[in-house]
Amino acid sequence: MDFDFSDDQQALREAVAKWVEKSYDFERRQQIVKSGGFDRAVYNELAELGLTGIYVSEEYGGMGMGPVEAMVVLEELGRGIVTEPLAQAFVTSAVIQTYGSDEVKQQWLPKIASGEALVVLAQQERKARHQLGVCEAKAAKSGDGYALTALKNIVPAGDQADAFVVPAMLDGKLALFIVERAAKGVSTRGYLTQAESRAADVKLDNAPAQLITTDGLTALNFAVDVGIACVCAEGVGAMDQTLKLTTDYMNQRKQFGVTIATFQALRHRVADMKMQLELARSMSYYATLKLGAPEAERRQALSRAKVQLGNSMRFVGQQSVQLHGGIGVTDEYAGSHYFKVLTQLEMTYGDTLHHLGEVSQRMTETAGVFA
Amino acid sequence: MDLAFTPEELKFRDEIRDWVKGALPKAISDKVHQAQRLTRDDMQTWAKILGKKGWLGYGWPAQFGGPGWTAVQKHLFEEELAMAGAPRIVPFGPVMVAPVIMAYGNKEQQERFLPGIASGEVWWSQGYSEPGSGSDLASVRTKAEKKGDKYIVNGQKTWTTLGQYGEWMFNLVRTSNEGKPQTGISFLLIDMKSPGVSVRPIKLLDGEVEVNDVFFDNVEVPVENLIGEENKGWTYAKHLLSHERTNIADVNRAKRELERLKRIAKAEGVYDDQRFRDQIALLEIDVVALEMLVLRVLSAEKSGKNSLDIAGLLKIKGSEIQQRYTELMMLAAGPYSLPFIEEAMNAGWQGDQAAAAGLQGFPGGDVANATLAPSYFNYRKTTIYGGSNEVQRNIVAQTVLG
Repeated sequence: MDFDFSDDQQALREAVAKWVEKSYDFERRQQIVKSGGFDRAVYNELAELGLTGIYVSEEYGGMGMGPVEAMVVLEELGRGIVTEPLAQAFVTSAVIQTYGSDEVKQQWLPKIASGEALVVLAQQERKARHQLGVCEAKAAKSGDGYALTALKNIVPAGDQADAFVVPAMLDGKLALFIVERAAKGVSTRGYLTQAESRAADVKLDNAPAQLITTDGLTALNFAVDVGIACVCAEGVGAMDQTLKLTTDYMNQRKQFGVTIATFQALRHRVADMKMQLELARSMSYYATLKLGAPEAERRQALSRAKVQLGNSMRFVGQQSVQLHGGIGVTDEYAGSHYFKVLTQLEMTYGDTLHHLGEVSQRMTETAGVFA
Repeated sequence: MDLAFTPEELKFRDEIRDWVKGALPKAISDKVHQAQRLTRDDMQTWAKILGKKGWLGYGWPAQFGGPGWTAVQKHLFEEELAMAGAPRIVPFGPVMVAPVIMAYGNKEQQERFLPGIASGEVWWSQGYSEPGSGSDLASVRTKAEKKGDKYIVNGQKTWTTLGQYGEWMFNLVRTSNEGKPQTGISFLLIDMKSPGVSVRPIKLLDGEVEVNDVFFDNVEVPVENLIGEENKGWTYAKHLLSHERTNIADVNRAKRELERLKRIAKAEGVYDDQRFRDQIALLEIDVVALEMLVLRVLSAEKSGKNSLDIAGLLKIKGSEIQQRYTELMMLAAGPYSLPFIEEAMNAGWQGDQAAAAGLQGFPGGDVANATLAPSYFNYRKTTIYGGSNEVQRNIVAQTVLG
């Protein structure tokens, strides 16, 4: 039982923090937002730092690291509310590495690690909401491969990505495929999200696809759990910075002749924000460290973590806006953008009520970190 | 980063588990699992069993006869005791005053007082709060005037937990009115059998006597009972309060009570009611998050990293969780928590016995409901004592805002 970061992990954190500070200030972010919420040049910079290959083993050209390093990196990107979806590289490389054939791994992992290919998870369907087992997308055998017909929504950077990891029904059972965006039968419609990142609806019309695994639901659950751990880490980074912005503001904003940081009613809100942040950080560690646990234990843990993060992110975001007063609801102030990111993260990979239901259904007689 | 305990730590846990299984009297653990009344004898019996094993002062360093355990070992020990249904160790002696005597007492005081604390023979009480000094502890007015080789103590302490059993009492007393309120306070040990000490029990809203007023009327206390220097008591008290707060999170007991809540909810037929069950799930998430917070503090202690900025959160969250599980237990029983059956608070009482006597037994299988509402009422104390949660928020805000 040890929650200290190694020297290497600490160095990684500092390298990413330095990149955010130097290369991704709020002005650059908002320029990117104006031009659509995604900049491949930024993604390439992250790749040059080696970050796209964190989950990929060295055998396939990656860093051979794991969930803890991914968490460290995403905390720092969350702190800078970076819109480019590095988490997708973690999600898709993790699922390909764990469930893909040698051939699939050989073809995709080196490209994900180098940043040459941005591969994203395209699982969201209108009728499924958060239920991963509900899937209308259909796959059929086609020559040596498969053909997919599907409509997936809110796919991260969906009109910019190079390929998608797509769940679809094959012979009545969920399977997981890879589809290239440039392939025949693929069309996309891109848009900004509320938190100003890029997303798209992705339509597949008999699009050629490569099989990752026929054990699709198991693999998809794993991919989404990796995604939840990523959301938790980004959320912690974003909340950390939100609290910092809030306390900095409270210590300089004067009303009635004194800084508003002197008012006890406001100080207690800050204490409550700190509480929510630290509970969330604790549960983000928990989520990350449980990713390698057996499936039932892992899924219970990740759902518990997502409920905590969801509640914490909403609370910290809302309180921050309130404590800022009028400036907190303006577009020009960075704080309002953190609030929107925190809101979006709550609804990503299952919202709070969905995961509360999961925890509720999975409850056993005993409960704790180790049960 | 690693969530798992080391093989050595797990082996240690198993040893404790085996020992507790054999050493803890079933009659006592049954009461704890049912939240029934514990007598002074129950508490003393368990304290002496621990004392004999050398574990009542389980947090003590080896040089004072303690086991010299690491922070993680102490946590595992607390967990095994809690899960087995051991009574809480009455903290005033071994957890509160002993560390102060070790840190600031002289050798004679250590030799005189520590053995009786370690063995569980001597019952200690805490003399901090006064009618005018609750959260504002530095305003204490109980006066100790030095006359020759004695202090003459006059004043009143209140909320003295289990003071009706107390033999010795550690007190904050005012020895000077000069300077800031904090600077005139001394830390004095008082023999409660001294002439002029009187104890008045205070009945609480749950019908139980848990706390007391303690009056001092010209009580003579030898100067050798002063700990450290005169007027430095505030420093020593702060040392003590920092011990009290980490203890107060009590996450292991929360885990045990969460299990009990689930049993009660099942017996009362609300476990499968989604609305109720979600409330249990939320509590379960809270308990896991608190446990992670505690483990982070332990990890930081283990590696020597500063953990102070989150330790203050433990009291707030721990106490809120304690209130929530007592609340949900009562709500699970609903109207069947309402009958006030005094004798049901005691061990040996069973609904079916009452039924045999021609009275209506409590429904709910082997889960007695009589203690649920009293526990809920009683636990309102947790956000008030040990520095109210509002004071705790001031402290947390200070670390964040400056």
